[in-house]
Amino acid sequence: MENKEKTMTGEESLRIITEMINKTKVNISQSSFHLLFWGWLIFAISLSEYLLYKFTNFTSPYYIWFFVIPGIFVSIIYGFVNGRKAKVHTYADRLYMWTWIGFLIAAIVLFIIHSKRLDTFATYILLLSGFPTFLSGFIIKFRPLIAGGICFWIIALIVNFAGPSIAPLGMPVAVLFGYLVPGYLLKNKVGHGTI
Amino acid sequence: MARFKELDPILHSQLRLAVISLLASIEAAEFTYIQEQTGATAGNLSIQITKLKEAGYIKVVKKFRKNYPLTLCSITSLGQHKFIEYAEALKHYLNPEKQEN
Repeated sequence: MENKEKTMTGEESLRIITEMINKTKVNISQSSFHLLFWGWLIFAISLSEYLLYKFTNFTSPYYIWFFVIPGIFVSIIYGFVNGRKAKVHTYADRLYMWTWIGFLIAAIVLFIIHSKRLDTFATYILLLSGFPTFLSGFIIKFRPLIAGGICFWIIALIVNFAGPSIAPLGMPVAVLFGYLVPGYLLKNKVGHGTI
Repeated sequence: MARFKELDPILHSQLRLAVISLLASIEAAEFTYIQEQTGATAGNLSIQITKLKEAGYIKVVKKFRKNYPLTLCSITSLGQHKFIEYAEALKHYLNPEKQEN
């Protein structure tokens, strides 16, 4: 940008406006961290729950889900520290953050409502998980994440109609395609900073 | 060319227009970020930001992060309104026949 003021033509004004607006894209460096962190955490928890259920006499394997609580704190602290370091705050960044906070609140409410019927909890949490994933894909304009959201919904249907021997595998498969695959694809783009 | 005079003189400057266009689509940005994106010198950017601030088009907040000063800029509702008005006037200037029909 030139330092001295000079008369601009209409075309020049339009070029400046377009150029500047195109520079303000969503910051994705945080998104890939959260997707990979939650992807691996949920994958490990859900697979461990399945293995405990299948191969041990442990009566309440779902207790392993309490590992989600420290995960929430890690995510909040990471988001807060990196948010403070950010040089720019876009409306899309804020929308992205509140979409996931909204999901967290809805998941807690669902857990409270459903605490007596945890055997069918997976179907509902998969159904709920699809929404922020799908929406986030649109916010950051990233198709694999949109597909990830759809994947959660398809697996929610499969889990609902599958027998109890297959259903517990629904969650690890869903996070594999819903969080981990889009997370790694997104991480490759982080070098560019924005998409 | 007569229509061009209708364009807001505060915004009809390369750097001020770049700053307001950048801020129009974000919530807030640091001075250094604006400098990186516009490629302007710190001195000139500071002068233009002061002009936009004095016109009430942007809000400037000075903070500290780890003992280092930090200047955070954001567009005001007046700034948003003036930017839209400028874009409309520009559209009218670029396509006068289309606008009159």
